[in-house]
Amino acid sequence: MTEVRLEAVDFTYPDGTRALDGVDLVVPAGSALALVGANGSGKTTLARHLNGLLRPSSGRVAVDGIDAAERTVAQLARSVGLCFQRPDRQIFGRTVRDEIEFGPRHQGVSSEDAFGRVKALASRLGLGEDLGAHPDDLGDTRRKLLTIASVLAMETPVFVLDEPTTGLDARGVDRIEHIVRELVEAGRTVIGISHDMRFVAETFERVVVLDRGRIVLDGTTEEVFAEDRWPALRGAGLEPPEAAVIGTRLGLGSTPTEAAIVGALTSRAARR
Amino acid sequence: MSATAPLPSARAQGASPWHELDPLTRLVVALGTVAAALVLGGIVCLSLLAALTVLVPAAVARELREVLRLSLLLALPLGVSVVVVNVLFSPGTPAEGALLATGVVLRILTMAGAAVLFYRTTRPAELLASLQYHGVPSRATFVIHNGAAMIPRLAERAREVTEAQRARGLDTEGNLLRRGRGLVALAAPTVLGAMAEVETRTLALETRGFTRPGRPTLLWTPHDGPVQRLARWGVLLVLIVLVLEHLAGVLPC
Amino acid sequence: MLRLAGVSYRYPGAGHETLHAVDLELYPGTVTGLAGAEQAGKSTLCLVAGGLAPRVVGGTVNGEIDIDGQDTRDWPMHRLADLVVTGLQDPGGQLSLIAETVFGEVAFGPANLGLPYDEVVSSAEEALRLVGIEHLRAHDPTRLSGGQQQLVVIAGLLAMRPRYLVLDEPVAHLDAASAKLVLTAIRAAATAGTAVLMAEQRPEAWTACDAVAVLGHGNILATGAPDEILSNPRITTLGIEEPAEVRLRRRLSEAGLDPELMGSAS
Repeated sequence: MTEVRLEAVDFTYPDGTRALDGVDLVVPAGSALALVGANGSGKTTLARHLNGLLRPSSGRVAVDGIDAAERTVAQLARSVGLCFQRPDRQIFGRTVRDEIEFGPRHQGVSSEDAFGRVKALASRLGLGEDLGAHPDDLGDTRRKLLTIASVLAMETPVFVLDEPTTGLDARGVDRIEHIVRELVEAGRTVIGISHDMRFVAETFERVVVLDRGRIVLDGTTEEVFAEDRWPALRGAGLEPPEAAVIGTRLGLGSTPTEAAIVGALTSRAARR
Repeated sequence: MSATAPLPSARAQGASPWHELDPLTRLVVALGTVAAALVLGGIVCLSLLAALTVLVPAAVARELREVLRLSLLLALPLGVSVVVVNVLFSPGTPAEGALLATGVVLRILTMAGAAVLFYRTTRPAELLASLQYHGVPSRATFVIHNGAAMIPRLAERAREVTEAQRARGLDTEGNLLRRGRGLVALAAPTVLGAMAEVETRTLALETRGFTRPGRPTLLWTPHDGPVQRLARWGVLLVLIVLVLEHLAGVLPC
Repeated sequence: MLRLAGVSYRYPGAGHETLHAVDLELYPGTVTGLAGAEQAGKSTLCLVAGGLAPRVVGGTVNGEIDIDGQDTRDWPMHRLADLVVTGLQDPGGQLSLIAETVFGEVAFGPANLGLPYDEVVSSAEEALRLVGIEHLRAHDPTRLSGGQQQLVVIAGLLAMRPRYLVLDEPVAHLDAASAKLVLTAIRAAATAGTAVLMAEQRPEAWTACDAVAVLGHGNILATGAPDEILSNPRITTLGIEEPAEVRLRRRLSEAGLDPELMGSAS
């Protein structure tokens, strides 16, 4: 169980762009949160700080209590598994199996154990039949699931998933929602970055909103997607999930998910 | 920059007479310098050439330091080996060898300097626009452009791939052997991805009419003029004279 | 009208056809959506409709393809470019890399068509406005985010004011607000007379369509009005995502509630 902590983190790129401005964030061990924000809000910059690819200009990043500054990227990669957005900038294996095995083998995991992880993950991500397939023969959805499987195979205590649902069909998105829940139940710390508000509301209980490098909202999905927060969301370049909008129009209070709408309408019907 | 109407440009215009020249003129000077450096031999002539066609324009363009620095960097590996070979293994005296070496090094430096000056003071977009202005068909410039423009894209892609693989534990800070093993993980997505991108770009350019016969509408035209035209033909003339003199063995240099 | 009749297509060196006897008609002023699972052939159909296949991609086409009654199968690509433009996936890969600014990038297409200078500038301006990226006009397109690049590419295609516009997943990587902008711009192009074919996965896209064609394993399975097609429960088995409203209504029925409770919502 590993906690992730950012304290007063500032980051400015070499060209002078201030990407993070006084970010304070504590992600308790074994919890999950969604990090949302418009393009350029600093989400991916923040993610890169968690495994040392970027180092803060000032402030401190701590993983499991240890200052990230004291560890190399390779060392941090043992604690924080970061899956990037674009499969074509990661996949290189000739088979699905090779690709998933890459991470664990680099960690020194034995060939048998690594293969065990490959089989288990492939099956959970719907790639069970594709172990020998060439990644180029898989469609967009399975390629994306492959990159996620490759990072999950490292079994790090913390996972950061950058836009895990872009390019996925509806079934793929479902799978990711399940996987995140399973990871949290298993005690992992999960940070999901996404611009898909529906996915965020359905999957995470806590949402952190970034706007131009600063955290402007941090709370449960009910709180953050409630109508009184919409101006702040829109100011940050975001729209609330459709379910929240529909629920508000029906006068049901804060209903960030479809299940919440159904629940609220059921209660209302029962009261009549 | 614009001779027709000001359109926004992302990079500040270099405000020097050299930058104001038609990119074609700058190209002709660069190519002419390289050709002349190959033909000329003497230290005096090479120095004059370098001064006239590289150093003076670089100074005018306020790029002297960068041109010198990058040319040296470029020429250094080859230059060092030339000097070593010629001094140590010279058939004549070491002094003669050194003299010979100096000539060769000067030639390499001049050629490098011409290339660097052109690269530093000419943007791909304006060169392309100039070539189109002068009637070079798009298909011809397409290949060169695609190649040159891909370099920064390739670098960017390589950087992203490196980050993704490092995030999976690939150690780029460790010892050389471990780094060697990771080469496929870095090279494959970079190269294959870049190739796929070239394919996509070819399709995109075709559908947007890039290979249409006839000249596209120019949004920017270079500052060309009779003086520059004369100068370009002049460069060609001088080159022809030099080559003829060289062949006839009567080259003063 | 752009008409495909009985069109089959096989990629170069492929053992089998990717498209089978496709019939499709695109009428000026309408937006036709193309729905289907991944690898059903949507991208291929886009390439064939836009003429990039077989001309640039290679491969073999069978069947009839005509535009406004003329058989276009022997037309070279640059002749087609006057009438049809195609948007592909991967916005970064579609940037010309010839333009230093977003404005230059968007003006690239009209400039290639040899339109008069003023028209090139005004079409580019209008396209920037339609897609909401006027504030990016002086930016280097290669330095923008993927989503912003996608907007630039779409603006570049719209600026050409084509008679026929083929788009392969134009709103794929966009956030909800940008997607809405693009779909509105596409509708505006249709209103101005363009015939649009739009392959998409995202259900929001169907709201901009006058008709939707469903592609499955290279065959057109059905064509009809969006409501009709998308409320058919079979679409999920074909890998097509239900629009949010349809899904919600279904869930309400499953919970024993009246789906019409939602009626006044959207």
